[in-house]
Amino acid sequence: MNKSNLWSLRLGFSSKQATEIEKIGFEKFLKQSFATTFDKKLPQFLEDDPKTLAELRELRQSIKNADSEAQKKILKKQIRNSFELKKWWLDKMRNDAHPLREKMVCFWHNHFVATSQKVKVNYWVYQHNMVLREHAFGNFKELTKKIIKTNAMVRYLDNVDNKKGNYNENLSRELLELFTLGIGNYSETDIKEGAKALAGLNLGADEAIYRRLIEDNSSKTYFGQTGDFKADDLVDIIFEQPKIPYLITRKILKWFVYDTPSDDLVHYYGDYFRKVNFEIEPLLTKIFTEEYAKENAGSKIKDPLVFMLQMMDELHIETVENTLIAFFLKQQGMDLFNQTNVKGWDGGNSWLTSQIYLQRNNTSDLLCNGRNISRKSFNKIPEDGETPEISIEKISVKVAFDTKGTNKKIISDLANRLFFQVDENTQKDMENLLKYDFDATNENANNAVLRLFNYITKTPEYQLI
Amino acid sequence: MNRRNFLSLTGTYTGGLLLLPDFLHAFGSQNNLVVGEQCLVFIQLNGGNDGLNTFIPYENPLYYDLRTKIALSKEAVIGKNKGMAFHPALKDFAQMQQNGDLTILQNVGYPEPNRSHFRSQEIWQTATDSNKYLNEGWLGRYLDLQCKEHQPTAGINLDSIDNLALKGIEPNAITVKDPNRFKVKNDKEETVKLSDNPQLDFVRKIANSVSEGSDDIQKALAKSTSETSYPKTGLSKNLEWISRLIKGNLNSKVYYTSLGGFDTHDNQLGIHERKLTELNDALFSFYQDLKKAQLLQNVTVVVFSEFGRRVKDNGNGTDHGTAAPMFIIGGNNKGTILGKNPNLSDLDNGDLKHEIDFRSVYATLLKEKMTFDATKIGINNALVNGLF
Repeated sequence: MNKSNLWSLRLGFSSKQATEIEKIGFEKFLKQSFATTFDKKLPQFLEDDPKTLAELRELRQSIKNADSEAQKKILKKQIRNSFELKKWWLDKMRNDAHPLREKMVCFWHNHFVATSQKVKVNYWVYQHNMVLREHAFGNFKELTKKIIKTNAMVRYLDNVDNKKGNYNENLSRELLELFTLGIGNYSETDIKEGAKALAGLNLGADEAIYRRLIEDNSSKTYFGQTGDFKADDLVDIIFEQPKIPYLITRKILKWFVYDTPSDDLVHYYGDYFRKVNFEIEPLLTKIFTEEYAKENAGSKIKDPLVFMLQMMDELHIETVENTLIAFFLKQQGMDLFNQTNVKGWDGGNSWLTSQIYLQRNNTSDLLCNGRNISRKSFNKIPEDGETPEISIEKISVKVAFDTKGTNKKIISDLANRLFFQVDENTQKDMENLLKYDFDATNENANNAVLRLFNYITKTPEYQLI
Repeated sequence: MNRRNFLSLTGTYTGGLLLLPDFLHAFGSQNNLVVGEQCLVFIQLNGGNDGLNTFIPYENPLYYDLRTKIALSKEAVIGKNKGMAFHPALKDFAQMQQNGDLTILQNVGYPEPNRSHFRSQEIWQTATDSNKYLNEGWLGRYLDLQCKEHQPTAGINLDSIDNLALKGIEPNAITVKDPNRFKVKNDKEETVKLSDNPQLDFVRKIANSVSEGSDDIQKALAKSTSETSYPKTGLSKNLEWISRLIKGNLNSKVYYTSLGGFDTHDNQLGIHERKLTELNDALFSFYQDLKKAQLLQNVTVVVFSEFGRRVKDNGNGTDHGTAAPMFIIGGNNKGTILGKNPNLSDLDNGDLKHEIDFRSVYATLLKEKMTFDATKIGINNALVNGLF
């Protein structure tokens, strides 16, 4: 596989940036990726959504007073907006010239999980997502501080129920177990004491705030240190612990390069991460530039997001709605804003089961046939004895190929773009699909190359990057 | 099973539906003396099989004049019949014909023939005019109309790549790479290593069970055994596999498989003999197997290639040509020879002129065996008389 294609996929979601990487070089492309800004404007669909606690109370009241029809309407709008949020995000992923920021937001989104199903307030989920965007390349410690004080997080991990004398340890536990140190690197006492420090951290106007009446101002002992600690103090103490860089470094390596990174590599990059005071950008720069130099393609199973967006890009599909992509992702076990639990998507081998693989193949079949993956196409089932009506939404699809090339040239171009390796059998199959006397100038050539592409996308090799 | 399940991931249990093959509703009204499910088995000879050295006009002096290097002698050919005879490697073809189970259609081709393997196969698989393009295959189009709902096993393709002939709007056909993979599904899997790359190893193992309809195939396999011993070749394995699926009542309408290596530009005599031997031995085992199971009348085997080869030889081989014989075995065919013997004196740029359009054969197969009107899928050619 061309390095530019490989790293376009790794730093983004498709091969879209490969040409640019080739043109300006990898280092420069990386620098540009880090230097991107992002849109801070509130998306339109959220303008009318309740934002402050007062507005939320108002909404709750109005639901209470409304008749059942009106209630349904209000709830429907909330659900629709949670879908709008996915579309809004997918739009960024699909269209950013430098998708690394969104790739990183998605990483953090799966690290600091707070699902819209539980948080329920779309605006808070949006805010949480914006914090991730703002700090995507920033400082891990600062981000941690910031994120546990989002309304989304305090609700998601039940800190709204964490009150002096009646503690809820959920946020305190996950802060250690999943967000920072990882299991085995803290004690149950630390969790209990942490919960005390977090008690009273509750929903606020813009972010979570300590509520005077339910906070615990007693002295706590956390990792051997004693004081009247609050959320920020906990994070400071956690980041003094020797094991702090490794969990996150391992996850970053897993997200970008290897399903199973070696311990040595994790320690190597992790130690550097500590050295640069948990600044994310230098860590990413180091990882990307050093891994770029290695031959390590084929170390990771594609997640559904990359599978789908790459497919869209390769087939030059513009018309497919983000709604359908979001729906596909859900079916593939990568529902945005809705991980099944606080651990997030496991990634690696768990991305693929035979069912999921089959669905990937079916999706490829449909799209390569120029058919939309919409549900509309199979809404109508014919009555007994009737000839089935085949109503389909046609979309225009085409795969880029060298129209002056021989079959071998076209095959190797596609292989270099799509395959991390090609073994003898695969090569044979491809040359069977596109025989030596294949004429690339023929008016039907595009369909033949589509069949080749379709074949490629269904191979095990294609599932890896 | 219908397509709605596609996005709901609930999708691969098709067993119940296949027990009641309501997609075959056309068969209720079928006026056929033969009882039982009919199916078609296609064997595509890839590369352009040399028809003139397969079914040989051994009494035509022009044959010997034009093929100085590769002609087969009168003494060598077998199963002589009306001036035609088989390549010696096809001894069991001669036997099947004697049994009345094999019909040879002579000079099958199409107007304005294309001599590119790639394009000519496309034409055979889509059944279009040679200047028209379709993205769905002829069998795929047939299954689209014949299957009430999406039936993943209505067509079975035994190959490592999908076959255009079976491609339709709905995925009514599946491609099965390795017959064995269905058998080993549950044992061994953990210990077998399919790649040194652990990620790839993992995905390959999953890939082995990724197939709609794999449960039905397993069931059909479990119900049948192989009593005939087949030779150890790729084609034999595929045919043995097809036979077991038929015997196991899979109820697929169409089976498709292929044999490569017929592009004999050089060293034709040796290569062609090996290939025809492989074809003969595999096909005859299949034939005997079906006969023993008393299923031959329900199974129609069709052997064809994308084109024949140039009449005049070129060195020790032949160039791409046009019309060639097509073979039909079983399915209660008349066991005859249809069409005139190849006319070697009236050639088109050195190639045979076709006499029977392959689409007429397709239309006849659909009409006689599937009770289906081929005009519905855009095949308007006249039927071939006297085939069944």
